Amino acid sequence: MKLWWIGTCILLTTCWAGAQKPDTDHTDAGYVPVLSGTFGYVQNVNGGVTSLEPQVETVLLVPFGSHVLLESRAEFFGFFQRENQTTGPFTGKVFKSVDYAQLDWLANTHVIATAGAFLLPYGLYNERLAPLWIRNLQDAPITDVIGTRPSGTGDGVMLRGNAYETPAYSIQYSAYFSTRSSINQLESSRLAGGDTSIFLKGARLEVGESFQHTLQEHQINNSGTYVSWQPERFPLDLKAEFDRCFNGEGYWIESAYKLSQVPLAPAFFSRVQLVPRVQQFHPLNGGGNSLPTKDTQRFDIGVNYYFRDNFRLVSSYGRQFSNQANANIWNAGVTYRFVWPLWPGRK
Amino acid sequence: MPRSILSTLCIAALPLLLCPILLSAGTKGADPKTAPATAQNQGEHLFAVNCGRCHQPPMSIPPRATGTIIMHMRTRARLSRQDEQALLKFMAP
Repeated sequence: MKLWWIGTCILLTTCWAGAQKPDTDHTDAGYVPVLSGTFGYVQNVNGGVTSLEPQVETVLLVPFGSHVLLESRAEFFGFFQRENQTTGPFTGKVFKSVDYAQLDWLANTHVIATAGAFLLPYGLYNERLAPLWIRNLQDAPITDVIGTRPSGTGDGVMLRGNAYETPAYSIQYSAYFSTRSSINQLESSRLAGGDTSIFLKGARLEVGESFQHTLQEHQINNSGTYVSWQPERFPLDLKAEFDRCFNGEGYWIESAYKLSQVPLAPAFFSRVQLVPRVQQFHPLNGGGNSLPTKDTQRFDIGVNYYFRDNFRLVSSYGRQFSNQANANIWNAGVTYRFVWPLWPGRK
Repeated sequence: MPRSILSTLCIAALPLLLCPILLSAGTKGADPKTAPATAQNQGEHLFAVNCGRCHQPPMSIPPRATGTIIMHMRTRARLSRQDEQALLKFMAP
């Protein structure tokens, strides 16, 4: 019900915000409300158990001029499994959630103020790589839950921006405070945290550090260190992250490589992407809290095929090694990203 | 899991992680010292550098939605106002 209320309010605001004039007349860029998002369908086989996962992510962007932006993401996630796991008809349900709903004030280069329910800027994954059309492998890293409990969202305020920039590098920051909330669709923990990274423009290398302190119950600290590198000379995207919290520590390394430099059949291979990933997790203090309770290692290899920049086939094979049980994990599916302006414009 | 298996796994994974570098050894890329000459080129350069930090650069965004999308990406990627303007000039000149 709340989801419908939020949706209705945002749509009404959309109508009011219709045609906003930007503060620049140097370009043809328009500032109309936009509905963007992804349709996806993934078939997952984990340890012999098949699940069918149709998904829709919608991102609504409503600008008020060129300095204020209302943005929200809702997710509809279907999960269907056979009645007796491996036999019987498929049954399941569709889950719906509001991932975030926030108001941004883009004051200047150094300060962007955000209020509302925002994605926690912790590490590389939650804020940047999680969208269905962006993630190269459909399964999130094991350590993704570190720094993002309980829902990946914080309810409160955040300041972020570009702290310092030269032609050679830029330093970005985020600092936030979130209150505790048990409101349906807006669950969050009481916590404070921040993220800072330096981006070396010439090398296209980013190194960052996230920190978070929980201000409720055990008052634990979470920390993460990450690296992202996209060298100019070859179509590689290398990302790695190490996370540590009270319940455990682990890392993942992912490399995504487009085969555009293979001399054979370039029309085909330039659309193919190889994505190997290794990850390892070690529980501390018994683990748990959505993390494995035993030492866990996992290796994945994905092959994606891009029909267009917004339409691709995704597939992957993974093998998880754990003291509890080893398992093969297969994924195959398709993702399609759309961008729909919600207001008529020049083009 | 025995550490030997894990070590074998990591060693097996290493070539996969490094294969792009091996495959592309000797290929020519753009000269990083070449500064973008025009505002259009600067925007194109920023587009490749900044969008590629998280995802494949999208090629098909309607111009009337470009300002909104760039606001969203400026917030997410913590871009400077100057970079935002350069990207707008490139994507919707």
